[in-house]
Amino acid sequence: MNNDMEGAGAINTLPELLAHALAMETEAAERYGELADQMESHRKAGVAAIFRRLEKAEKEHLGDLAEMCSKVELPHIAPWDFKWNHSESPEAIDFTKVHYQLSVREAILLAFEHERKAAEFYAGIALTTTDTEVQKLARQFAAEEQQHIGWLEAWLAECGPGDALATEDPDPPLCQE
Amino acid sequence: MEAVAQKRKYAAKDYKSELKPIWCPGCGDYTVLNAITRALAELALPPEEVAVVSGIGCSSRIPAYTSVYGFHGVHGRALPVATGLKLARPDLTVLVTGGDGDGFSIGGNHFLHACRRNVDLTYIVMDNQVYGMTKGQASPTTAPDWEGSKLTPEGTGINPFQPLVVGLASGANFIARVSSSDPVNMARIIVEAIQHPGFSLVQVLSPCVTFRPEQQEWRDVVRTAVVDYTDDAARAARRLMTDDGFNVGKVLYKGSRPPFRPEFEHTDGSVAELEARFAL
Amino acid sequence: MTITSVSLVIAGSGGAGVVTAGSLLLDAAAHAGWYALMSRSSGPQIRGGEAAAMLRFATEPIMSHDDSFHLLMAIDWDNIGRFSAEIPLVAESLIVGDPAHGEAPAALLGGQPRQAALPMTAIAEKIENGRPNMVALGAIAAMIGLPPEAMQAVVEKNLKRKGQTAIDASMAAFHAGFAAAADLPTIPKLPAVAAACEPRWSITGNEATGLGVIRGGVRFVAAYPITPATEVLEWLAPSLAKVGGMLVQAEDELASINQIIGASYGGVPAMTATSGPGLSLMIESLGLAVAAEVPLVVVDVMRVGPSTGIATKSEQSDLNIAVYGLHGDAPHIVVAANSVPDCLFTTQWAVHLAEAMQAPALVLTDQAMGQARAIVPRPAELAFIGQRLTATTAVEGERYKRYAMTGSGVSPMAIPGTPGLTHTADGLEHNEFGTPSSQASDHQAQMDKRSRKLTQFNYGDHWADIEDAEVGAGDTAIITWGSSTGPAREALRRYSAAGGKARLISLRLIAPVQPEKMAAALAGIKRAVVVEQSHSGQFYRMLRAFYELPAQTVSLHQGGPLAFGPGRILEQLNQLNAGSA
Repeated sequence: MNNDMEGAGAINTLPELLAHALAMETEAAERYGELADQMESHRKAGVAAIFRRLEKAEKEHLGDLAEMCSKVELPHIAPWDFKWNHSESPEAIDFTKVHYQLSVREAILLAFEHERKAAEFYAGIALTTTDTEVQKLARQFAAEEQQHIGWLEAWLAECGPGDALATEDPDPPLCQE
Repeated sequence: MEAVAQKRKYAAKDYKSELKPIWCPGCGDYTVLNAITRALAELALPPEEVAVVSGIGCSSRIPAYTSVYGFHGVHGRALPVATGLKLARPDLTVLVTGGDGDGFSIGGNHFLHACRRNVDLTYIVMDNQVYGMTKGQASPTTAPDWEGSKLTPEGTGINPFQPLVVGLASGANFIARVSSSDPVNMARIIVEAIQHPGFSLVQVLSPCVTFRPEQQEWRDVVRTAVVDYTDDAARAARRLMTDDGFNVGKVLYKGSRPPFRPEFEHTDGSVAELEARFAL
Repeated sequence: MTITSVSLVIAGSGGAGVVTAGSLLLDAAAHAGWYALMSRSSGPQIRGGEAAAMLRFATEPIMSHDDSFHLLMAIDWDNIGRFSAEIPLVAESLIVGDPAHGEAPAALLGGQPRQAALPMTAIAEKIENGRPNMVALGAIAAMIGLPPEAMQAVVEKNLKRKGQTAIDASMAAFHAGFAAAADLPTIPKLPAVAAACEPRWSITGNEATGLGVIRGGVRFVAAYPITPATEVLEWLAPSLAKVGGMLVQAEDELASINQIIGASYGGVPAMTATSGPGLSLMIESLGLAVAAEVPLVVVDVMRVGPSTGIATKSEQSDLNIAVYGLHGDAPHIVVAANSVPDCLFTTQWAVHLAEAMQAPALVLTDQAMGQARAIVPRPAELAFIGQRLTATTAVEGERYKRYAMTGSGVSPMAIPGTPGLTHTADGLEHNEFGTPSSQASDHQAQMDKRSRKLTQFNYGDHWADIEDAEVGAGDTAIITWGSSTGPAREALRRYSAAGGKARLISLRLIAPVQPEKMAAALAGIKRAVVVEQSHSGQFYRMLRAFYELPAQTVSLHQGGPLAFGPGRILEQLNQLNAGSA
């Protein structure tokens, strides 16, 4: 069901691009934060730290973007009307793709996949738009996503053999309510 | 962000509480929580005018994770609590969240009568075909040959409960099935469910990563239903009786029964008038 | 002095119209300025079964039946024997039967009552559309001194829809019976009363219960039909609608209790009424109301248990489940009405208590008072209105604490719709915010708070009715509750009339217990008799557990459906004092 870019139409106005960017970056920041929370709740400090760093990065990104948006009247777009076509924004990791025994390496790869999708989304807009302003900004956004990809590549390179292992839990699940 | 804040009064995040969910990472319920908050933001409902009611179970933890009014009651009784709340406070938007065990087993009778009564509620059932909080027993929607629980090592041997068929037969006024792997459609359908008058039933296929890890394959099995909703209950029944449970992402049925609301004698009666009838 | 009263039973099989006859007689007695009490007993049939209307009339308020009946007016004898235990007849009693239906059954003759014949069928047959039950009413009126004008007025009102012919036929039969009574042996007659007496009401316990909750402010009721509580609901449904409230018929008692929890959480005072079997189903959710601190009122109109028991008859045997039935330590309120009119007072008080303390209040009444109709002095206006401590404004920068620690234990409750104070009410143990917590310290603090709000509340003098023959005098007490209070009251009166001095303590507040108040109430008391209608003596055991009782305390208990009459209680009082003398 993940047809992120399939059928994505062109974006030809600056406010529309900004609305998309704002939604995507907001969601990405929130998602990384929530995934970090989940991992912290399950005492997975290593994976949590990865998501927390990404949350921080996205928040910074979001700050700049918000600044940019404050001067523009943005259109309201319902979640299902964004150009990523009935799916969640490309940068947000699907909640159901994680697991509490996720390895550090798997977490980085997941983030990598979604940052790449984000970059592709902006690149796609730059390619299809008829508006030069939009094209310029979309390229800039794509470049910023590339920067994140760069970080993730670096983190991946830093990964030791232990980071590829699923976190262990010798205990069975517990009874609750 | 301010410009956005001016335009849209609420963001999805505004409907989330500070409390961190205790669900297993990968649980479908995270997606449902997100879809609910997205739907509420889209409807721009002030948080204080919304209530989420639940019983007991993993998915029944949702109220506390929202920033709206919440009620977390006992196992199986979310629907009556919500019924009382909505009838007493028709001004509120009332959602009910829960799981398949809570709704269709211990709360089964209330489910039938909530559909029948058709109070203006939105019931979101996260169906994972298992009891998660008690370590993975068969639920009413579990397949008869599932052998994953010590309680039923040979499988339950009984046919699974068909919530949407039963819901339709009992009088639910809006029926949809969505998948937790399709969060945006879920939000859209929850918006529709809330807007549709009467009792709206939304079944969410929400995998249990811990006790039913094989359900993660659901994301590849589900397909967007090919036909749009019908307002003909007989047609809806035929579709529901013949589908395999994996047609998702669309509303299946929309009825036009008016929601239940007890009729009042709109008299300006007073307690003194009631008392006068006892006087000799 | 003892009460001057006359007690009678009208009995007959299906079609005899004894229930209608009893109601007409009660209304006529009211019209004549008397006070009255009417109970009913019937067979298991939905229609057509044998039935008995038991009535007592007096020129002053009464709250109990007498020990025996002066008159049994039997329109026929079909199966009346099944009521023999409920219709005590003595040598002074009189059985009047219709020779057309043969002899009185032996089961009724144990007390060797007098017997007489009244050919009701034959008399009625001579009148077009005449009915034997109206003939019987005529004879009864003549025998007890009820003026025919009183019956005329009541018949005119009741048969208005059926037309003048029906009224005339009924009154013709009535007068024929009235005349025929001249040949019958006599029973005590009541004196006529001046028409302008104090204002009176005709009300059943179940109606009084309904009125009490509406007066207290309840505007939402959800309920499932159950005997003998159904009349509470039947009265409430149209009455609530008139004052802007509503009654919802739920799918079961689990739904009733949870619907009212939902409504009350929404800020609308709510209640349900049920009987033992329904209460059993509600218990888990009553605990939820304790934990989530949702005020509500549940009325249990007790019937004979266990299980389905005897659905149509009375017992005081739900005390244990009401007090101890909830799992966990679950402080809640249990109150009990002790007469037909007290159903009004006690339920209204219960709404007030529940709302003030944000806790569930159980009200125990029973079939005997619930389904009895009484002519009583107009009940007083009461000041009890449900009033909930609410939180209305958010404090900047502070997260709302639904379960905040307070001195009283009561925390201001934010009602949905209030901005800035959203929260989740929870049945899971929680901290002050309502966030689920499994920590010992949170459990301890919340338990303390839930307990404190009940124990520190000022219940005033309403915790019990304490009545002295002579204030401060005497060393003997009757301790009782619920519908055993009526006969106990009358026993006390007879005891005083004979020169004895005793005190009645009828507990209205069953839980939380009030040891200090009880100690004060028992000051100077050396002997006590505890009266209740329970096979295992539940009330006595509860008193023993929580109160310092006089060394010489005896328990007078028996299961339903029979109740102790005033005479039996008086006998126990006399025995107790004879033994100690």
